[in-house]
Amino acid sequence: MNDRAFTAAQDFLLSAKTYWSTTMYRALRDSHGEEGSQTVADVAQAIEDSTLYQVYAWYERHLQRMKYAGRYGLVPYHNERRIDLLSELDSEDSECTQESLTLPAYYTVVDIHQHPGGVWSDGIAGFVYERGARTTTPLAGAAEKDVHERFTDLILEEWKPANILDMGCGFGKSTQPFVRRLPDSTVEAIDLSVPCLRLASYAAREAQASNVRFRQMDACRTDYEAGSFDLVTSTMVLHEMPPKTIEDLLDEAFRVLTPGGRMIHLDFYCLPDVFRRFIHYGHARRNNEPYMQPFAELQLSSLVSSKGFVDAQVAPFQESDRVDLDGNEAWRFPWTVISATKPKT
Amino acid sequence: MNKRTKSPRAEQQFFNDPALDRFMGAFMALATEHYVLLDRVRAMEKQLTEAGRLDQEALDREPDEIERAETSADRAAFIEALMRPLLGEQDALGASGKFSLK
Ligand SMILES: C[S@@+](CC[C@H](N)C(=O)[O-])C[C@H]1O[C@@H](n2cnc3c(N)ncnc32)[C@H](O)[C@@H]1O
Repeated sequence: MNDRAFTAAQDFLLSAKTYWSTTMYRALRDSHGEEGSQTVADVAQAIEDSTLYQVYAWYERHLQRMKYAGRYGLVPYHNERRIDLLSELDSEDSECTQESLTLPAYYTVVDIHQHPGGVWSDGIAGFVYERGARTTTPLAGAAEKDVHERFTDLILEEWKPANILDMGCGFGKSTQPFVRRLPDSTVEAIDLSVPCLRLASYAAREAQASNVRFRQMDACRTDYEAGSFDLVTSTMVLHEMPPKTIEDLLDEAFRVLTPGGRMIHLDFYCLPDVFRRFIHYGHARRNNEPYMQPFAELQLSSLVSSKGFVDAQVAPFQESDRVDLDGNEAWRFPWTVISATKPKT
Repeated sequence: MNKRTKSPRAEQQFFNDPALDRFMGAFMALATEHYVLLDRVRAMEKQLTEAGRLDQEALDREPDEIERAETSADRAAFIEALMRPLLGEQDALGASGKFSLK
């Protein structure tokens, strides 16, 4: 497939997605109305059988499917360019693989967000994921600061951490703002996916960043010494883990933090009403995100406190100037900042 | 690295009749293809116009009666192909209706 056809098809699908997330979403919300439903099951009872909901749900599933698979999907497009893409990465990155690591079952049993083969099984998966992530938040304009920059802003307003751990860094999108904006700090970035890590490491070399390492490691069992970091962060990682794994991650974050250090995660959690909760749970199912609903149902703040942290806070996060946190005008992820401190003593 | 074989699992169902789920898939594939084609024609027109090989204004002008008459048979054939299946009539004589070997 030529580049023009691929871009035209992907633009077409993105326009359809924008229509879906605004006009179609609003029509669905209006058909449900303001009052009445007390629970997710009430909302389901009220609208699941409507034709509008069926159409809405179909488009949510299949626009994402067509983005990744099918004739003009990200996977076949990158697959045709496999040799060139992989040759870019060829200089060996020994840190990007840990021989002894076995990928956890929760991770390999599902092709997360409908990426065929997941973000880990194919050498080109990092490129596929990177390209796909450019349009994860279709409503944010190109001119606007992206969500990772805004999240970094929030942290840097507080203080300038010197030793940072980015858990589940992917291809480095969440890591880059720290690396670039804190040139005198050291950043360790870990993930399970070798293809993503290799792309991240390549991009860092291109940017001549020397204050970052990308390493293959399970965020629940790292090889860092206790007290190594004053910031442990993650972006869009917790919702991809089952509750037990989240507990392990919190324990590990606690261990590697220095006393007084901060843990700050960005994820999808605070849902303002039952309609949005219904929409979110349906999204999880349709987008192949089996742990998203269990995560949204955790008592997060008390869980974090039970791990020894203090000052646990869970607060909605505005991912763009254009969204209204309480508003329901368009489909959006329930962005949330989860933060806590390891006590000094 | 581990490779997984393609999952043979059944796709999720959203409509009461799963045939509609599948039909929608075909419809969206066609719509995408149509847009890709549209985009390509537009790009070709632009290149040809820039090379002085195409009169874009003449191309956009409303066709006259003669041209419309010339293309009307083709239009009718297209409509026939599109709409005849909706009538549910046979093209070749044979048994009718839904059958079952139950
Ligand atoms: C949605 S991506 C987010 C990537 C990146 N933080 C960003 O914002 O672009 C989630 C990442 O978490 C990683 N991941 C999942 N479980 C993990 C674990 N146990 N340890 C380390 N990384 C993990 C996945 O491989 C994936 O790259």
